[in-house]
Amino acid sequence: MATDTNSPVLMMEGVVGGYGRMTILNGLSFSVARATITTIIGPNGAGKSTAFKAIFGLLNLSAGRIILEGKDVRGFSPAALIGEGVCYVPQGRNIFPELSVHDNLELGGVALGTTKAMRSRVEEALDRFPILRQKARAQASTLSGGQQKLLEIARGLIARPKLMLIDEPSIGLSPLMVKDVFATLQRLRDQGVSILMVEQNARSALEISDNGIVLETGRTRLVGTAQSILNDPRIAKLFLGAEVDLETPASP
Amino acid sequence: MMSLFVQVLISGLAIGAIYALIATGFSLLSQGSQTVNFAQGDFVVVPAFVMLAANSYGLPIWASFIVALVVAALVLGVLFKRLMVDPILPHGAMQLSIATMALSIVLQNGMLNAGGAQAFPFPGINGGLHFGNIFIDWQSVSILLAAVVAVTALNLFMGRTRIGRAIQASAQGPQVARLLGINVARMVLITFVLNAALVTLAALLVSPIYLVKFDNGIGIGLAAFSAAIIGGFNQVRGAVVGGLLLGVVQNFAATFGPTQYRDAVPMLLLIIFILFRPQGLLGRAEERRV
Repeated sequence: MATDTNSPVLMMEGVVGGYGRMTILNGLSFSVARATITTIIGPNGAGKSTAFKAIFGLLNLSAGRIILEGKDVRGFSPAALIGEGVCYVPQGRNIFPELSVHDNLELGGVALGTTKAMRSRVEEALDRFPILRQKARAQASTLSGGQQKLLEIARGLIARPKLMLIDEPSIGLSPLMVKDVFATLQRLRDQGVSILMVEQNARSALEISDNGIVLETGRTRLVGTAQSILNDPRIAKLFLGAEVDLETPASP
Repeated sequence: MMSLFVQVLISGLAIGAIYALIATGFSLLSQGSQTVNFAQGDFVVVPAFVMLAANSYGLPIWASFIVALVVAALVLGVLFKRLMVDPILPHGAMQLSIATMALSIVLQNGMLNAGGAQAFPFPGINGGLHFGNIFIDWQSVSILLAAVVAVTALNLFMGRTRIGRAIQASAQGPQVARLLGINVARMVLITFVLNAALVTLAALLVSPIYLVKFDNGIGIGLAAFSAAIIGGFNQVRGAVVGGLLLGVVQNFAATFGPTQYRDAVPMLLLIIFILFRPQGLLGRAEERRV
């Protein structure tokens, strides 16, 4: 089955949704090109993480379509979305601390059911991340923060996703580890995985990204190449400042 | 003296192995669904009565065991979860714990009304083996064997199978487990059914020794609760070690000390552990963040 390599892997079209009565996404629309890294930036409360939850079936949506490779997947369960080739690496620590690194990895394919095929995929993942192979039998809680993030990424890859949603991967990591995680994401992109990332560390994230999306109040304010967003003086002032200025309100 | 020591050790290990089974179920439930089940001891007595009833209708004891297994899986597993845990847990784990205390009282009085206050004999295994002047009874040997097989099987299931790992994952991080497509609710239900199977096996093993009496659950539940804490709360391996240790210490205390303090031993051991090693034998000290 040939897929058009020019068509986007994901399209959000006028997505409206939120928590309870509070609407966070107000007609959100954007698309993610195949085999690219796309970073979503925006102020707190803009709906960045909420957009991920919407894509991954964790939010009740009242309108809009979520098209994954030409198929509307709005309302799909996480398990079904994994089957469709989406994986979600949420922010924070999301490993199973008392299970071994190996078992954590194997759980990445639990939604797909087949145990035998999973074994070779776990081996592949361990080949791809030598640090995880070294610690394959160790309890996941013994890994450093950065290694745990790599484990989460590796676990997501077990299901062979076309699209990886990764939320704030740099949180709590040392600058060196952030570099390592970002390099991993670039390698994955080069291998054909499309990556949609939300990142507070916007400048460094855009530097490794192909495209950028600026969200504000649950809507897309700007889309463009990562470079053009980095070079946009207004965006730089608002979101990419070297220092976080909490006093400055986000202007319209 | 040596022969007495060995005999007391073996029968202590046997009773400890039963505690280990019950404590393991207890830990599974608390890990898997934040359910601290204070009716766990009574959960052992219910299938014992079911087996006695089935046996009195002419079923052999193995068939009665299977009947009890099915009844326990349905009543102590599925119904307990659906009718009690699911509605109460959203209000808090503490509320649920108190509700299980109430359940314990209801079960005891139910069994008292249905069966009476006497202790019913339960078929066991007679005889044993002499090694010089050491006598090892088949009952203890078979208890140890059955418990070892059950715990090993449970460990293999939890560690080596897809469902077992999914159950552990659901206990350690239900949110993340859901994101990986694991049906967490089903895993929790399986945990309840596993607990029901463990208490039924424990009932089969303990009833020939303690007989079947409506309030046996008090002592058994206390011992299992203590074993779980001593081993390191929320640790299945800990529950096994804690159970064995408690069984042996209790048996030695009852043999070489006053028998009437037998049931005080778990409490004593529990207090010692809470004072000096609150994380239990295999547990890790938890950080407390202010």
